[in-house]
Amino acid sequence: MSFNYDELSHTEIFDLLRQWRENNERRSEDVLYFSEVIVEDPLHKLGSEKYVVMEQVIYAALDCHYYTIAKLWIMMLSEEFPGSLRVLRYKAACLEAEEKYEEAMEVLDSIIKADETNSAARKRRVAILKAQGLIQEAIKELVDYLKKFMSDMEAWQELSELYLQVQEYSKAAFCAEELILHQPHNHLMHQRLADIRYTMGGVDNLELAKSYYCQALKLNPDNMRALLGLFLVTNTLLSHYKSSGSAKRKEAFKLSQWAQSEATKIQRKAQPPPTIPALTNMMLSLAVTD
Amino acid sequence: MAELLLDPKIRLWVFLPIVIITFLVGIVRHYVSIILSSQKKIEIIQVQDSQVMIRARLLRENGKYLPRQSFAMRRHWFNNEDTGYFKVQKRAAASQNPMTDPGMMTDMLKGNVTNVLPMIVIGGWINWMFSGFLTTKVPFPLTLRFKPMLQRGVELAYLDASWVSSASWYFLNVFGLRTIYTLVLGENNAADQSKVMQEQMSGAAMAMPPDPKAAFKAEWEALEITEHRWALATAEADLLVNEAKEQ
Repeated sequence: MSFNYDELSHTEIFDLLRQWRENNERRSEDVLYFSEVIVEDPLHKLGSEKYVVMEQVIYAALDCHYYTIAKLWIMMLSEEFPGSLRVLRYKAACLEAEEKYEEAMEVLDSIIKADETNSAARKRRVAILKAQGLIQEAIKELVDYLKKFMSDMEAWQELSELYLQVQEYSKAAFCAEELILHQPHNHLMHQRLADIRYTMGGVDNLELAKSYYCQALKLNPDNMRALLGLFLVTNTLLSHYKSSGSAKRKEAFKLSQWAQSEATKIQRKAQPPPTIPALTNMMLSLAVTD
Repeated sequence: MAELLLDPKIRLWVFLPIVIITFLVGIVRHYVSIILSSQKKIEIIQVQDSQVMIRARLLRENGKYLPRQSFAMRRHWFNNEDTGYFKVQKRAAASQNPMTDPGMMTDMLKGNVTNVLPMIVIGGWINWMFSGFLTTKVPFPLTLRFKPMLQRGVELAYLDASWVSSASWYFLNVFGLRTIYTLVLGENNAADQSKVMQEQMSGAAMAMPPDPKAAFKAEWEALEITEHRWALATAEADLLVNEAKEQ
């Protein structure tokens, strides 16, 4: 999509902005460019949509590190809504972008004090701690948050990632399971849990990882990561089962073979440029020759 | 029976004023209720309760995607006799009497001020000011049963039932202007009085806020009888079966 921005009329600009808002497209530089055109007259004719546009501009300005512009727009908004918590949140975001974490924290605390149910402010607190590298504190804060807002999927996902950073795999797995509870039909959730289980190691976890990789592949046969994961898991399992020679070993072997052939098929379909060494060869070097 | 003729001045000084007055009162009501309306503050404990309920429900529905141990761990956390969430959390039963809750009282008062008061005042005033007029005639014959509805304030035994009195005209306007308000003020406006009437009818039953204690108990029971059936047990076999079919 490329536009000659100078030729757009005001209504076209607002339509475009609305489209970006709805699709969650960030395009901050373009938004900023428009903000200069619309700041004077047309914005005030817009009615109540005006404020959403202003919010969009503020975040765009913060994205591009134009703090003065952001502050200007925040000023405009706070004149219209003195004491609004939402405007206060922009101020916190601005402070945060300038890395004035202490002050941002204070603003966020005041928001939470005024409205205990303000989940966005609580999440920002976690984000600030994370930005400062205080992972343990961020985890603690997030756990507190999740005690209150238990069905917040984003938060569970974030917590899972934070636990992975500090290598608390069993706790990360717990959070990943929570994600599966929320979206049992999303193959990425199953793949995520399988990844964690595989990393944890041990026969039980590997078995689980195998099941979840299979589930992910069932939900989406094109999930290459799950396919390769399945291949690695089954290969590791084969070495664990060496002594038993049971039905389990046979199944693992079959799955390993299947994953290998499937991966080869997909790879052939994709037709990589010739410079990349064939994946098959790499997998052959890993494969257990039975 | 001889045809009645209405004075054209009735149209000018009774019929139209009633329409205009009811309409304007509706508009004013809308804005007054906007001014008076207080944003309901949500208690954090309520949010927590509802989120817990959602999580418990998800566990019940999607628990089969977790290994048995993980499922049992979560259920234990919810349902354990001594430490389970549903057992430990003691929520006060929802306030039995709304009169004891001062917040509820102000809400009710505001509701009355914006809804019932104008109804009584304006209705009474119109009844007093424009009483005894016949304002219009519906263009079709009606049976005698309609007389008390359409001829309030004009108790004439021999009058044709299709004539409409001023007081009845006012009520017809109150209930009939809804679509016009939607046109002027947009959806969900507060100008419409008929909605208020409906609320008052069913109000007694609806006023009870949901009781977290009862909801917890129900969820506890539902979770207790949930059986864990590992949904991924056949995942590997399914993959290999598909493979076999393809070949």
